[in-house]
Amino acid sequence: MSVPEIGQSLPRTEDERFLTGQGNYIDDINLDGQAHAVVVRSTHAHARINAIDVAQALALDGVLLVVTPDDWKKEGFGPMPTKTAIRKGKNDMDLAEPPRHCLAMDKVRYVGEPVALVVAETAAIAIEAAELVDIDYVSLDVVVDPKKALIDGAPQLWDDIANNLCLDFELGDAAATQAAFDKADHVVTLEVFNNRVTAVPIEPRGAVASYSPETDSYLLYNATQNVHANRDTFAESVLGIEKEKLHHIAPDVGGGFGVKNGAYPEPPLILYASKRLGRAVKWINTRSESFVGDTHGRGQDSTVELALNKDGKFIALRTTTIGAIGAFCWTVGPFTPTGGSARTQGGPYGFEAMYYQAKAVFTNTHPMDPYRGAGRPEGSFQIERVVEKAARELGFDPVELRRLNLIPRDALPLKTPMGLDVDCGDFPEVFERTLKLSDRAGFDARLAASREKRLRRGFAIAPYLECTGGGPKEFAGVTFVENGTVDLAVGSQSTGMGHETAMPQILAANLGLPFDDIRYHQADTDKTPIGGGHGGSRNLEVGGSAVLQAAGEVIEKGKVLAAHIFETTPEKITFEDGAFAEPGTNHSMTMREIIDASFDPLTLPDGMEPGGLNVGSTFERGIISVPNGCHAAEVEVDPETGKINIDGYWVVDDFGTIINPMLADGQVMGGVAQGIGQALMEEAYYEEDTGQLVTGSLIDYALPRADDIPNMVLAFYEDAPTAKNPLGVKGAGEAGCCGAPPAVVNAVLDALKDYGIENISMPLTPEKVWRAIHAKG
Amino acid sequence: MPELTMTVNGKQVTGSVEGRTLLVQFLRDSLALTGTHVGCDTSQCGACVVHVDGKPVKSCTMLALQADGRDVLTIEGLAKGGELHPMQEAFRENHGLQCGFCTPGMVMASVALVQENPDPSEEEVRHGLEGNLCRCTGYQNIVKSILSAAKVMRG
Repeated sequence: MSVPEIGQSLPRTEDERFLTGQGNYIDDINLDGQAHAVVVRSTHAHARINAIDVAQALALDGVLLVVTPDDWKKEGFGPMPTKTAIRKGKNDMDLAEPPRHCLAMDKVRYVGEPVALVVAETAAIAIEAAELVDIDYVSLDVVVDPKKALIDGAPQLWDDIANNLCLDFELGDAAATQAAFDKADHVVTLEVFNNRVTAVPIEPRGAVASYSPETDSYLLYNATQNVHANRDTFAESVLGIEKEKLHHIAPDVGGGFGVKNGAYPEPPLILYASKRLGRAVKWINTRSESFVGDTHGRGQDSTVELALNKDGKFIALRTTTIGAIGAFCWTVGPFTPTGGSARTQGGPYGFEAMYYQAKAVFTNTHPMDPYRGAGRPEGSFQIERVVEKAARELGFDPVELRRLNLIPRDALPLKTPMGLDVDCGDFPEVFERTLKLSDRAGFDARLAASREKRLRRGFAIAPYLECTGGGPKEFAGVTFVENGTVDLAVGSQSTGMGHETAMPQILAANLGLPFDDIRYHQADTDKTPIGGGHGGSRNLEVGGSAVLQAAGEVIEKGKVLAAHIFETTPEKITFEDGAFAEPGTNHSMTMREIIDASFDPLTLPDGMEPGGLNVGSTFERGIISVPNGCHAAEVEVDPETGKINIDGYWVVDDFGTIINPMLADGQVMGGVAQGIGQALMEEAYYEEDTGQLVTGSLIDYALPRADDIPNMVLAFYEDAPTAKNPLGVKGAGEAGCCGAPPAVVNAVLDALKDYGIENISMPLTPEKVWRAIHAKG
Repeated sequence: MPELTMTVNGKQVTGSVEGRTLLVQFLRDSLALTGTHVGCDTSQCGACVVHVDGKPVKSCTMLALQADGRDVLTIEGLAKGGELHPMQEAFRENHGLQCGFCTPGMVMASVALVQENPDPSEEEVRHGLEGNLCRCTGYQNIVKSILSAAKVMRG
């Protein structure tokens, strides 16, 4: 294959493997002599553990070991700490962080919490034995609603944490915001509920662990998105060993979306079991276990207040949120409803003042951690829903009201009242392009056609602005192999996004090498010294920039070698179109020739060893990037059934430079589908009195299927690459689910406007829509 | 344990299984054909779809013994002589996959869909995929892949 270009839709390297059944996912890994583990999970949402009797389980033929909380105490293993960046609240309040052990200590606090681990010769025996572990629970009162959990007298999850309050957070200027509200002509207030959902990557989580007594070290294969950070937690915080003693590898990972980012309890449990048994141990979750054993996301109740002048100009925004975080802080759980939702408040609109406050609250539910967007989709939903309400309540055209308030291009760069650094973009242009794509002129005809069918039709446009996140540093290592291949190892991680293609594309394009020459490596703590894994749409921004930086360092070394061969000095060497040359002479060598020469000891300058072009480069982001764009949706609603059909969907995104448009499109499509799922179908719903997860299987939890998702028309605005990173990229992974929920929900409410329906809380199931219509007669 | 014999990807295989062993477990654990995936426990996701006597079957919902004497085709047997099947090629060309986990079942279901209905409309394709879940792609490029493969398969 030839030298690729930036901006080319290069087909994916990983596809042939995945399409022929040769992918290597966690359940495909089997180590010699492995035993099988099953987690015994709490069936109670809140209970004291009186006793755990493992006798019957151990008596079953083929059972090897039952790990209990007593083993954990005896070993002195530590809890897994939260790594949230937000640790301080109002009045210097410290984050309340209860200890999170791998097994429930004395009490269980949510359904699905691991209580014991059974290890047996086969998975089938382990499942049977898990049923035989007899746990004597004493039930306690349960609280699943974070608003109720804050009230005096509510069930207390933690003895030393009053009112279940983890953190009382604020950002912005409360006094300036109040002053702006005082002088406003209009104040529009809306209660916004952002439904609790879960990511449901199609591959359930799992891991395989082994222990080597010879080296006193562990090997862990794990379906995770973050091998380095989780290695540190498992090794240093839990097992109390040096991190170098744990080799952590993620094989092909079948989707993540944030839910595989965090440190989960099962890997340390099987690491421990593998040492105790002297055998490899494998554990794979079932799907039903995933619902009660994977982190959830969103789950915010907010009051959003918008202050406007009489001409419709926005002046201030105030959001007050109660965010569920479940029973523990998990890995970064408290971040999402606090800092995660605060930073992008107000979206792409201009404000004089903003104030955001949020209480992160413990409840008897599975802990929360990032799910695609982690706070930004919630922020985007808050502003777009209140703007839509303001337009209706005050008699403005929703399109005109948005147009009036978008931050103009010449106002950039600016810092929002939330402190977000918005450097570049053209929000009005992106908005107008989206409107144009969505064929407003044809709407009346489509509306008439819908009416003929006794259907309602509605439209909404939803500009969004979000930001990147995740670890600020990334490493890229380039190693040249004498036979001609180039090994590229990066510490960020693909769980389906196509890094195996995009990252070699960047390296090959910059070094002028054929794409097929590059072999990509990721997600292995032995392959890169550091790594930030996946999350926060960070890969191209941080990882891609590390690759670009590494390519630059290779070129600099290549110039030294070329200068030595040409008998001149490196400053005189140029590198263009894949060749080193000395202008004014006929000296020229291709990158390939220089690589070959770098293995010939006779051609090397002093101080350069064979293979001397190798580099290991760390890039650190200064300021997070600001992806932005605009979604629009047109829907039909059948008032007889409440069924919603998304009839048109349009997106224009500003992701800065587009490296591989095909992959960027794929990110948008997948994000929009997840946003539509949240808007119309999905909810992780807990029963109030018992804390049981009602939507605990794929029969009950409605995941979008092919006929639930429309075709989308996508376009990119590429005229504003950011200067915050050398690639000019802004991040593409999470934008889709920022724009989709408000676009869809507002379009449905537009379709139903004749019924006077002000709000329907997500998910907008046919039943809820039908009830809303019929309640209004 | 009962013995069974079946043809898998054109080769005769024999094995002994427990009565409760599922077809997908036999394929994955006994034959090491790990391309067929398990994504759920309620027959919802379709990651485990294989063909049995030419019909698409969720191999997590069929006992291995029920496949005794039958002809089974898995994702590993779809490409012939190093050439991808037109459906596999179409998924690759149209970015019809991301993480790849649903892909084997999706491709096997899609091949059966087009064999059953060689010239499907977009709506028929979307409806025909009701037994298969994908969380990455938003389905748009899967549908595009299938429509494009159908054209090639019709010749």
